[in-house]
Amino acid sequence: MESNLFIKEFDGFDIPCQYMFDLRKTKVKDCVGCWSCWIKTPGRCINTDLDEFYKAYLKADKVIILSKVNQRFVSGNLKTLFDRMIPLFMPDITFKHGEAMHLPRYRKYPDVEIYYQGDFDSLDSKEIYENYLHRTFAQFYSKCEVVKPINQSSMQEISG
Amino acid sequence: MKTLIINGSPKGRNGNTEVIIEKFIGSAKNLYQVCYVANEDPLKLAEYMKRFDAVIIVMPLYIHAMPGIMMKLIECMERTIDDGKSMGFIVQSGFRESEHSKYLKRYLTALAHKLNYTYIGTVVRGGSAGICMMPEKMNKKLFKQLQNLGEHFRLTRTFHGDIVEELAKPIRLSKGMSMLLYFLFKLGISDSIFWNGMLKKNNALDRKFDRPFA
Ligand SMILES: Cc1cc2nc3c(=O)[nH]c(=O)nc-3n(C[C@H](O)[C@H](O)[C@H](O)COP(=O)(O)O)c2cc1C
Repeated sequence: MESNLFIKEFDGFDIPCQYMFDLRKTKVKDCVGCWSCWIKTPGRCINTDLDEFYKAYLKADKVIILSKVNQRFVSGNLKTLFDRMIPLFMPDITFKHGEAMHLPRYRKYPDVEIYYQGDFDSLDSKEIYENYLHRTFAQFYSKCEVVKPINQSSMQEISG
Repeated sequence: MKTLIINGSPKGRNGNTEVIIEKFIGSAKNLYQVCYVANEDPLKLAEYMKRFDAVIIVMPLYIHAMPGIMMKLIECMERTIDDGKSMGFIVQSGFRESEHSKYLKRYLTALAHKLNYTYIGTVVRGGSAGICMMPEKMNKKLFKQLQNLGEHFRLTRTFHGDIVEELAKPIRLSKGMSMLLYFLFKLGISDSIFWNGMLKKNNALDRKFDRPFA
C-alpha cells in the first residue's frame, strides 16, 4: 500500500494516512541557523522534536500539505517546518542545473501535493506563492506537480 | 524621527545580517533603532513598528524565502492607515548568485504595498554566508558599498539604484561559469573544501554522509 503523510493547517479533508502532522497542535522549534546538522552531527538537528516526522517524511511515497495562506504566503509555522528540512540535504552544492543547489542526502524523497486555503487579492500574489512552493520542492528533490486551492473535488483527488 | 531596523536572522547579533546592519548604519547610530526578531515577541514587535515612519528589514535567505521566525513577524503586521510611511528590505544569502532571492523580493515588494507603506526597495546580495567569519579586509568592497548605501539612504530615504545593482551581482551564473563550477566541483575544488574542513574540526567527517532517518 502507498504510504502517505499529511501535514495540515485546516480540517475537513482528512483521508486515512500513515502519519498525521497537525501544525496547529505542534509547535515546531525554529531553525536557529547553527549548521550543526551539516558540520557537527550530519543529518541531525540540535533539536529532536522532528525526529519522528523526518522518519515518516522519508518513508512516505506521497506527502500532502494542507496550507493555510497567511499574509499571502505560507504560515510562519509551515515556513519553520521547511527551514528544518535542511538536515535532509547535504551542505555541498552542485551547479549541474546552471545554478547552485544542495545535493541530496537520502536516496529517495516523497512526491508532494499542496492544497491551500485562503484568498489572494491579485493574480500576482497567487503566482508568487505557487512559484515559491514549486521552487522549494525542487530544491527538496520532490516531484511537486500539484499546488492548488482546495475545493469540493479536492477530496477525491487527494484520496485518488 | 529614527528609522527602525529589524534584524530578521535567527542568529541575531551573531550573524551576517548584523554585520550588514552595522555597515549600513555606519557612524549614524543615533538615527536608528535596531530590533531583533530572534529576541522579541512578534506581536509586540509588529505593534512597536507602528511608531516609526521608516522601517528597514534585513534578513538572510532561508530556502528561497524569509526564515520562519521572520514570517511569524510578518503574520502580525497590519496595514497602516497613515500615508507616507516607508519600508525597505535587505536580503543576503549564501549562494553566490543573488537570483535565488527573486521569489522573496517579489513577495516583499507586494507586502510593502499591501501594508500601505511606500516601498523603498529590496537590496539582494548573494555570497554572504561567511562575512562575519572573514577578516575585515576581504569584505572591504562590500562594506564600502553598504556604507554608501546607508549614507545615501540617510540623505534621500531611498536606496541608490546603482549601488543596489552592484550589490546584486552576479544575478545569475553564466552558462560558462556554471559549467566551470560544475567541473571544479567534480575535481573536488568547491565549497565542499570548507564544509569538510569544518566537519573534520568537529571530528565528524567520517559521518558526513550519514542517513539517520532513512
Ligand atoms: C535553514 C537555512 C536555509 C538557507 N537557505 C538558503 C538558500 O536557499 N539560498 C542561499 O543562498 N542561502 C541560504 N542559506 C544561507 C544563509 O542565507 C546565509 O548563510 C546567511 O548569510 C545567514 O545570515 P545570518 O548569519 O545573519 O543568519 C540558508 C541558511 C540556513 C541556515
